[in-house]
Amino acid sequence: MNNILLSSHGTEGARAAERMAIELAPADATLHHLIVVPDLWKGMMGDDWLNNGVSRDRYARYLESELGREVEEHCERIRSRAGEKGLHYRNTVVLGRPEACLLRRCREADYDLVVMGSPRPKGTPGLRSRMATERVTRALPVPLLLVPHPHG
Amino acid sequence: MVYTKKSPALLIVGLIMLAIWFLASNGMMDPYIQHLGGSKYKYTSELTSIPLYFGILAAAFGLWQLFGSHREGHWDYYSSSVAGAMFILLIAMLVRWFVAPEVAVISHAFGKVGDTGKYIHKLLGLNYVVLGILTGIVIVNVFGVPKWAENGVRLSRLGLKTGVILLGTLYSAAELKNLGGLSIVMIGVFVLGSVGAVLWLGARMKIPNSMGGVLSAGMGVCGVSATVAAAPVVQAKSVEIAYTIGTILLWGVACMFVFPIIGNLFGMSYVQFGAWAGTGILNSAQVAGAALAYQPDGIETLKVAEIFNITRVLVLPIIVLWLAVWYVKREESAVAGQVNVGRVIFEKFPMFVIGFLIMFALSSTGIFAPPNHYKGKYFGNTVESGFKESNLLKDAQIAVLQAEAPKVQRENRKAALQRLIENRKIMSIDDDDALRGLVNAKILSRDANKILKGAHKAVRHTAKKIKAFRKWITWLFAFGLVGLGMQITISSMKQAGGQPAVIGAFVGLGKAVLSLIVVLILVSETI
Repeated sequence: MNNILLSSHGTEGARAAERMAIELAPADATLHHLIVVPDLWKGMMGDDWLNNGVSRDRYARYLESELGREVEEHCERIRSRAGEKGLHYRNTVVLGRPEACLLRRCREADYDLVVMGSPRPKGTPGLRSRMATERVTRALPVPLLLVPHPHG
Repeated sequence: MVYTKKSPALLIVGLIMLAIWFLASNGMMDPYIQHLGGSKYKYTSELTSIPLYFGILAAAFGLWQLFGSHREGHWDYYSSSVAGAMFILLIAMLVRWFVAPEVAVISHAFGKVGDTGKYIHKLLGLNYVVLGILTGIVIVNVFGVPKWAENGVRLSRLGLKTGVILLGTLYSAAELKNLGGLSIVMIGVFVLGSVGAVLWLGARMKIPNSMGGVLSAGMGVCGVSATVAAAPVVQAKSVEIAYTIGTILLWGVACMFVFPIIGNLFGMSYVQFGAWAGTGILNSAQVAGAALAYQPDGIETLKVAEIFNITRVLVLPIIVLWLAVWYVKREESAVAGQVNVGRVIFEKFPMFVIGFLIMFALSSTGIFAPPNHYKGKYFGNTVESGFKESNLLKDAQIAVLQAEAPKVQRENRKAALQRLIENRKIMSIDDDDALRGLVNAKILSRDANKILKGAHKAVRHTAKKIKAFRKWITWLFAFGLVGLGMQITISSMKQAGGQPAVIGAFVGLGKAVLSLIVVLILVSETI
């Protein structure tokens, strides 16, 4: 298990998956971190029509920088933990639907194991952009470890 | 990057438009038009003109896009938007000419709903505007906007803004003054009230200041547009933006359907409904949608609602400034220097409002219609001013009026009727007003009233330019709203939730109900 793909975008369930992936990975293994920025953000300009171009551009830049900052903080946390265990850390940030991005990534490179969190219990706050776990389990060509939600 | 796609799509869109024109012009669509209403079908003249002009344009551009060579640059960027714009226009055409009439036919087949005396499509406001927005929503969420059309979909904003600018030609000075005054009072009270209510509720529920700030702008001013304007100022987190926009979109789309139903049930006048929609609906796009849903064949409701929309957007820079100051006072992390009053006002000022005012000023000079026109209609009882000699009253009609003249008591009406009998046509605007009052008073028989109505129509003419503006406005709003529908994603609406949804429901519902009560009590049926 030298190449582990961790699919996580910082939710509580995904953090459980992060801990498990780091625990399972043997020293000197590479932890590949896939962060999917859900494509729902493409619709977050909504149906605004009253603003002028300057306001919309400012908003788009602001939103982009906010998402970038959140991803950076997230990656930094895992990089630091992985480093403590002597793991190599690599990350990939993509925009799209979580399950489609994960499947594409697995087709593009060879991994020994995919680790991800299980769907969060209903009613838990957070973005509504769940990984379609069933679709992933049917189509994934790599062994999958689904880590239980801490409050599941 | 070259934006223009080498795709046959635009050519196909053009060919479909030309096919519609060809089938309609050669009578091959007659059986279908018969099915859609026959002589009551209103769009025959549009079918035999509009698709020809735009079909030629789309086909010619489509050929060039498919076979021409394209290089990076401004021209490439702008030309890449043509395919999407024509795609939206085609959807608007299909919905206006075929889908909405088909829905009406099906609705008539079901009969009237209970005691309402209305057909289901009238009650639900299922006309070409609402169906156009729905089609846009279905396209983006089920099929996705095609890549070749993506750039053009953004042009829908331009369509709506141009529509508002042209609307400026249809207001009289008195109308603008009265509506403006009413909207300033209503928007002032309800915008400030709901912004304050969200901030107060947010503090009680201990939500972060950034969330309270962005939510109050969205809930209070003009929905998504205010959220877009305020989010960077109050440093909203991404999830807070998602919650806010999700809540507003979900609420806005629901309001677009619910408001016309309630308006119909209360029998609200166009002015009352326009004022209510303009105040109570959170999102500005759905204000226009609901106004056109309530009155699809006229634009009186839209005129009222858009004055409210304009007032809201003029309030936006003030609210953004308020929130900026409010946020800086509360957050140590906020940079005090970021509240740049000049920049906020410059950036948030809606330039299209200036266009609206220019068109209003031009219209007031009489450049688009003869002086003293109202809503593009003017008085003229000479051949030079548009009166037709064939409209002079006939002997039999004069005899009916003479026989009923003794029933009239008021002096001005009596004199106006006498002058009409002597001259066989209405002689002045004052006479016209007096005779319209006589018709409304229902003193004379139905036949006599019919003659008076005919005499009124014969001296009232619609200025050609204003008529054209009305047609363009209708199309620009239809185009804009279909395009905006294509930007409403279910995935963004699904983000509605958490505390913003609770606060949003409370404030949104409160604003809708209170503004309904105020409108019903205080706003008269006409302006």
